[in-house]
Amino acid sequence: MNRVHNTKIVLWLITGLAAAIALNRFVFGLGATTNLNDEVPWGFWIGFKLSWVALSAGGFVIGAIFYMMKREKFHSLVRIAILTAFLGYSAFIVSLIFDLGLPWNIWHMIIYWNPNSPLFEVGWCVMLYTTVLVLEFLPVPLENTSRYATVRAFLQKFRFPIVLLGIMLSTLHQSSLGTLFLIMPRRLFPLFYSHIIPIEFFISAIAGGLLMLAFETLALHWMYRRTLETDLVHVLCSVSVWILGLYFLVKIGDVALEGKLGLLLDGSWMSYLYIVEMLLTTVIPFVMFVMPKWCANRRVQWIGTSIGIVGVVLNRIDIGGFAMRDATLWYTPSWMEVVLSVGILSTAALVFLFIIETFHVWDIQPRDPEALSHTPPFFDRVSGTWLGSPKTSALTRHTLAFVISFAVGMALISGKRLHAEGIENVTVRPASGIDTLCINGNRDSQFVEFPHQAHIGWMRSGRISSVTIDSLHYVLGAGADSCIVCHHLDVPGEKLSNCWECHTSMYSEVDFFRHDWHASASGANLKCDDCHTPGETRTGRTARKCTACHPSYTFADTAGYGPNAYYIPSYVDAMHKLCVSCHTIESRVIKDKPNLALCSTCHRTGTPPGLRAGMKWDVSLPRFDNVVLPTPVRGIR
Amino acid sequence: MESLLHFARGPLFRLCFMIMLLGLARILFLDLWEAYRAYRKAGDKKMPWRLIVRRGLEWAFPMKRIWRNPQLYSFVSILFHIGLILVPVFLFAHIDLWKSAIGISWPALPFRWALWLTISTIVCAAVLLIERLSVKAIHSLSRGQDYFWLILLLFPFVTGFVCANLKIGAGLYQFLMLVHVLSGDVIFLLIPFTKMAHCVLAPFSQIIDALAWKFPPATDQDILETLNPNH
Repeated sequence: MNRVHNTKIVLWLITGLAAAIALNRFVFGLGATTNLNDEVPWGFWIGFKLSWVALSAGGFVIGAIFYMMKREKFHSLVRIAILTAFLGYSAFIVSLIFDLGLPWNIWHMIIYWNPNSPLFEVGWCVMLYTTVLVLEFLPVPLENTSRYATVRAFLQKFRFPIVLLGIMLSTLHQSSLGTLFLIMPRRLFPLFYSHIIPIEFFISAIAGGLLMLAFETLALHWMYRRTLETDLVHVLCSVSVWILGLYFLVKIGDVALEGKLGLLLDGSWMSYLYIVEMLLTTVIPFVMFVMPKWCANRRVQWIGTSIGIVGVVLNRIDIGGFAMRDATLWYTPSWMEVVLSVGILSTAALVFLFIIETFHVWDIQPRDPEALSHTPPFFDRVSGTWLGSPKTSALTRHTLAFVISFAVGMALISGKRLHAEGIENVTVRPASGIDTLCINGNRDSQFVEFPHQAHIGWMRSGRISSVTIDSLHYVLGAGADSCIVCHHLDVPGEKLSNCWECHTSMYSEVDFFRHDWHASASGANLKCDDCHTPGETRTGRTARKCTACHPSYTFADTAGYGPNAYYIPSYVDAMHKLCVSCHTIESRVIKDKPNLALCSTCHRTGTPPGLRAGMKWDVSLPRFDNVVLPTPVRGIR
Repeated sequence: MESLLHFARGPLFRLCFMIMLLGLARILFLDLWEAYRAYRKAGDKKMPWRLIVRRGLEWAFPMKRIWRNPQLYSFVSILFHIGLILVPVFLFAHIDLWKSAIGISWPALPFRWALWLTISTIVCAAVLLIERLSVKAIHSLSRGQDYFWLILLLFPFVTGFVCANLKIGAGLYQFLMLVHVLSGDVIFLLIPFTKMAHCVLAPFSQIIDALAWKFPPATDQDILETLNPNH
């Protein structure tokens, strides 16, 4: 079995799947890809990403041990550590592009400074540290060519200050990633919240970085079937023991001093989460590595490092999402979030393998066993054909894996209509009120009041300008009857149907006509020629009008949408079109009244006082932007 | 039936279409990558570009060649290719599906043109099939793949023709539409892995052909040594 090849195939498969989802994210947006919402804008993505930064900490730790403390035995690890750090940070930055709502503005923090924000500091540190890592690693690829010898010599001459700068920047932002959460004492569950969260982040990052390096060394030796430098892994594990112990003491000490020990054992979901996290991050790896005999055992090393890494990842995910107040009520990560994150990591792993096979990163440069010149030519099992030279044969199979998993990803991403499926399907509920309708689309305190009775009066009395009426007739194509101007179509058997009866979906277009139902045997069971003119292309234009079969329809043949189109606009779009198109015209004529074509005129924050009495929840609760939290908060306070 | 149809033109279509799109891009990339490597290894780096372009154009627009080969076969084959490309790409119903799915559209064929091109493609496929079976020279050159593709390509065209033009009931319509969509999906899926890949590889075949005669330096010496025991 070729372990290198099989690992690469798996990585390519994950990368392909993630690429399809990445495409989905950029074409159809975050809403179509993630389960994030206004309550939980930072979910699995952010937490998982924070752990990449933590696990990349090996770069500066080994740098410090080797260059500052002059421990020569770590020599063979330095380049791998720096490469890991570089790829970890690059993956972090790449994943930010997917995560940010407006990724093309990522450069803003360089120009528009906000020194009060921890994210500002993190952003700058990550940017600078990635540059430092490039400078640290650049001499390695430059070894292969003599052309840039001066650049290489220059970088090596200034290696010490560069390493020093790297250590400083890492120390700064590893801790300030924790600082981000200092501003959320009321959002983060008390067990997870701490005033010294920056310090906890820093210590756990050092432990995570060391464990990650030990794990990587084990994995690389397993993959390339090389004899293990057990000594070095042993040293890494035994060093990390002390840091894990320190981390445990700091965490538990903090919980005890803050008087939160009671929460630890109260049997809630959060307490279990905390206990599991502590077991994985510190207790289990600590017990495994603290005994010298166990620490030298390779199987124990495998298990211990893996558990420790999972623990650090879990810690970051907890703090980034799961331990947020009531997060689990509103949010479970979608499979696409998970796959995209893992996909970025597997791409980084592929780059890692490419670099260690191409450049002199390890003490002995490994090679893909298939790429060695003495291996026999590889024949494809299915077609029996020769797949080309070793390099091409690997490429042939890897690209095939990518293509297949990309296609599978495309098949999985959404349902009937590619761009509408990801949008949350919110069913419209009718507006309340009689004379004045209260349109409460988002079910929050942002009502839009629509004086229905008044509009009827204004229509009848001619207070609405004739220009508007004329334009309305033109836009909506309705007759002179004022009701039909807005109630442009009725459900069979009704007169003056309400808006929500046809515009049933809040944000997505509605399949109003249902062609498949009309054409199916179990539906209207119509033949094509029953509606379409024979001998012409079967389109909406060549079909009979709806009113031919449904004479009760009082249908205004509106431009763009109408019986010719399968889809009618969402409730939000329909309402906006109906209101704004009139009020835009009206606002040109009437100058002394509030401009109702402006969003803020109708969308006022706050509740009309008369309505507040009957509200089901208390709107005086602390509010985060426009989110109002329901009063019965489960079990946490 | 309805849900099956939804599946066939939803997820299954996306799967097959993406495999076709990326699969074709992949083999084109691998083809050119190997061509580049062959070129780098070649001792004689001079490429007969003029000849390559001329021959390429001759094959793309076979005005001269048409008279050299059996004329019926040539004509029918050309007509078959025209219908095969134009009808699926420029049919109004297909463009409408693209428009409703991802919002892009392009000019469509007039209804009459689409009708007659469909009929001509079906007839051409039948003629080509008969020719493959009856003409001895062609029959002996044919592989199983060649018959398979002609028959497979007939499926979407015949079902599409019946669905678009004949007066049929809803049940039969749905069944035929399902066959239409499924056979289309199978075609997309198989294109990059069979001879149909010539749709992207054909333009480069002349370059590959020219490169095939370029050998690494000192190949002649190696061959001489191998063939001549006294050398």
